[in-house]
Amino acid sequence: MMQDPLIHARGLCRHYHRGIETVKAIDGIDLDIMPGAMVSILGPSGSGKTTLINLLSCLDAPTAGTLSIAGHLVDAMSEDKLAAIRRGLIGFVFQKFYLIPTLTVAENVELPLLFFKRTITREGTMNILRQVGLEDRARHLPSELSGGQMQRVAIARALIVQPRILMADEPTGNLDSENGAAIFGLLRHLVRDQGLTVILTTHNLVLGNQADRIITLKDGRIVTDSAPPSFPSSTI
Amino acid sequence: MTSYLGLAFNNLLRRPVRSALTVFGVALAVAVAVSLAGFNRGYRRAIEHSIERLGFQVMIMAKGCPYEAATMMLKGGTGLLYLPGDTLTKIKTDSDIKAITPIFIGVAQKEASSIRDDAAASFLIISGIETGSFTSMKPWIAFARGLGFDGGRWFNPDAADEVVLGYEVATYEQRKVGDQFLATIAPAGKADPIQHSFKVVGILDRTGTQDDGTVFLPIAAAQSMFNRPAELTIVGIKLKEFTGVKMREFESRWMKLPEVQVVSLQQVKNTLISLIGTAQTMVLAVAIIAVIVAMIGVINTIIMSVYERTGEIGIMKALGAFRGDIFQLIWLETLAICFCGGLVGSLLAWAGTHLIESAIKRLIDIGVQGSLVDITWEVMLTAMGSAIVLGFFAGLYPAWRAASMRPIDAIREGIG
Repeated sequence: MMQDPLIHARGLCRHYHRGIETVKAIDGIDLDIMPGAMVSILGPSGSGKTTLINLLSCLDAPTAGTLSIAGHLVDAMSEDKLAAIRRGLIGFVFQKFYLIPTLTVAENVELPLLFFKRTITREGTMNILRQVGLEDRARHLPSELSGGQMQRVAIARALIVQPRILMADEPTGNLDSENGAAIFGLLRHLVRDQGLTVILTTHNLVLGNQADRIITLKDGRIVTDSAPPSFPSSTI
Repeated sequence: MTSYLGLAFNNLLRRPVRSALTVFGVALAVAVAVSLAGFNRGYRRAIEHSIERLGFQVMIMAKGCPYEAATMMLKGGTGLLYLPGDTLTKIKTDSDIKAITPIFIGVAQKEASSIRDDAAASFLIISGIETGSFTSMKPWIAFARGLGFDGGRWFNPDAADEVVLGYEVATYEQRKVGDQFLATIAPAGKADPIQHSFKVVGILDRTGTQDDGTVFLPIAAAQSMFNRPAELTIVGIKLKEFTGVKMREFESRWMKLPEVQVVSLQQVKNTLISLIGTAQTMVLAVAIIAVIVAMIGVINTIIMSVYERTGEIGIMKALGAFRGDIFQLIWLETLAICFCGGLVGSLLAWAGTHLIESAIKRLIDIGVQGSLVDITWEVMLTAMGSAIVLGFFAGLYPAWRAASMRPIDAIREGIG
């Protein structure tokens, strides 16, 4: 029996106005993403990668088209409702780590739970840190970590609420090639071992091409999609 | 796991100098407000104490400025006016009087002071009294004890060369019981002052009133030395029933005398409080301005902090924080600054009480004895509560700004 897609988009558009000009950041994208996939979104600067990932992660609302995330039709939702959908369903990792410099690694990882009014045992936090290979850094401050380690903390912080989808916008953008490859490997490991769905944007073709599925954008449209044959293909 | 409050404090510690300066700004405003409130309380208490310690409820004195008359009894002064000699005899007949005491006050020049002081301390207040009626009005008066003080007694009513010194006069002039005391008096209507030598027969214990700075003589001797036989400066009176109605009746009876004014000490108290009112209003205005400046400083600090953390706020919202969570966090930071400022300011005001008091006494010649600043726990807690209310309002705008940020814009701005 075929699974329902976790993300289902039809005719997705994000247009905005710059003076008298209308910029079509995303222009009519059809896309289905199945659970447990690692999807790379590639493309040159200005192709719409970040806009697409923002739409798929409910950080932004489309100007046209329909979008459904885990069965919730989100394209016409208010910002507060989008926030409610994001909570617990989607985790985020960005190019910049945004760790709070005065909190320890463990406290940074636990931070989202504060907003969920949930608590976690220190052992629970250590388990998450173990997954990202930082169990020995729990009491360290972010300033005592390397860039790669800080991105691992950001990933652990995203994982603490057990999301179904991890959105990563240029997660290796601030890292050298070795650390970038390690982070990419960690994300692959999370997909394989935990069934997490990872959607990432990257400029790094070497890493991006290692994903299960590679979507290439140009001028807000999908130009190639290497979706496996069993997945419904997106249209150009 | 950290809490909202812990996170708020952590955020403030990221810019310790800026946070400390903002806290200090609030603390200064609070310290001014606490000092003012403490001064209000202390000043009223000091006036009440000083007036109560005069011992009488009503004063009869020569017509003149009632304000001057009021303060003269509390802090002394020159330019004295005198009542005619028969005033006491007339007033004594009033059936509403419970007790009455005549007082003659004059100003003499010090001689052979052991401490050289060319300023105000070169003058002495001489008070001629009847010991019997005077001490019945002031039952708390007692002679000081200890080395140099023991053996004190009141002067002989007929003696012209015996004095009793108030505590401050005795300690300032370094006089003991049995010592000689010199004063130069200019008799009325005579060109040349006359130097008098007295024997100190007693030194009074400290009372915390103007009596501490007074030299007491038998009334007849004082009148004679100033060449004002039978004249009086004040007649102090206690009424059998001291009510507003009785006071007005008494006043109307004796105001008919052409040279007399009747002054209720309640009026004196009100007069003194109103005299200081203008100064208090100015200080209050300064305190309000300080509070407004502090509030602007707090808003500025928190807004800067919010702008610096735009990206972080964006990621918190992306990770599940609702508007209310961000609002709460930023608001708590503001409240934390104001609470710390309130605490530090209250403690500063409390610790600096004596400094404030001496500054006030130096700036304003108030005419009351004792402590002028009364900073209590209630005043400090009220000030801290007010600082938190200040934070409550100061935090609204920055918290609203932070909470209203769209996560996508905040993250984009943070990256940029």
